[in-house]
Amino acid sequence: MPPRLFIIKIHIMLKIIESIFHNLSVWGLPVLMIIVGIIEFSFGLYEKKWNRNELILDITCFVIPRIILQPLTVYFTLKLLPVILPGLKGTFSWVPFWWAFFIIAVADDLTQYWYHRLHHQVPFLWRFHRTHHSAPYMGMSMASRQNVIYTIFFSQIYLTAALVYLGLGYAALFVTGIKSLITLAAHSSIPWDKPFYKYKVLHPIAWVLERLISTPATHHAHHADSFDDGVGNYKGNFGNMFFIWDVIFKTGIITRKYPQSFGLKHYKQEEWYAQFAWPLFKSRKEGSELAADGPMVGDELQVNRSKSTGEESYETLQKAELA
Amino acid sequence: MHLQKEAKQKIIRDIIVSLFLYTLPVILMFLSFYITGKKPWLNQQKKNAATVVHH
Repeated sequence: MPPRLFIIKIHIMLKIIESIFHNLSVWGLPVLMIIVGIIEFSFGLYEKKWNRNELILDITCFVIPRIILQPLTVYFTLKLLPVILPGLKGTFSWVPFWWAFFIIAVADDLTQYWYHRLHHQVPFLWRFHRTHHSAPYMGMSMASRQNVIYTIFFSQIYLTAALVYLGLGYAALFVTGIKSLITLAAHSSIPWDKPFYKYKVLHPIAWVLERLISTPATHHAHHADSFDDGVGNYKGNFGNMFFIWDVIFKTGIITRKYPQSFGLKHYKQEEWYAQFAWPLFKSRKEGSELAADGPMVGDELQVNRSKSTGEESYETLQKAELA
Repeated sequence: MHLQKEAKQKIIRDIIVSLFLYTLPVILMFLSFYITGKKPWLNQQKKNAATVVHH
């Protein structure tokens, strides 16, 4: 093949990839979620746990943040950033693509790791994140399930918007696309990572994969309702796109197994509106964390275990590595 | 209900490590420029200057 033709073909391929990521960011991801969600539902993967209250909550969390958050980030980027960082628009547009990619990937995902971890480890913050953990099932239906306050203050969105404003926008398109695909796949009830653990020839890939990114095995463990099976780790495995943060900070466990049950042991099926907009709306369920006089953290075990999470998780991680 | 003292210390320790991790890609990028002798920011300056002259 003549070199010129080869270059043209590469150029066309890059344009197609760019177009895929652009469409993913505009409409592709929600459509993908709906399609995978329908597949999960038709295969009975929600195991009849998707009652009316859960259904309304999941749909509200899927629709409303998309309506609120998009104008909010646009306002932040177009109106606030020129005031906060005057004259700096596009200042770093000279940064080569792969370096920009690397900078945004670390900045965005490490910030989300901290935002997520602090909502688990600081008792005051737990109730803003609880909604994401109350679902007794895994899948596309609960991937967007968050309290609206948690969503609005999603810190890495504003950090990435600032980096886009400074000139790293092109790389951000690919990072956010890849990140969304990885996090959605990690929440999916389809265990796509299973073949990597089953076939010995794929074990080296599995070893790298499970330490680098979130997989259904590691992320499902984060959504488990118990530590007792040695698989669940709801006070750890905080990584979103990258799992490497959990490895570095010793907050993760890798077992290559999937927990048997998900959610919260102390879940009281709180009203969807209380879960969506606490503390604006409170639950009427007695003893609920979301009730007006409810406890900050309902699960005492959760609190007691939090202080030893680091060391304990790392020990288990080492055991898993030896196994 | 407060954060346990040990958990608080671990969080602070890990945040300090994170600050290094945030800067790592930037440090590595400038290290690669130093090794290869590339100065891509000069292209941007030339572009800006050309735009100003053009106007």
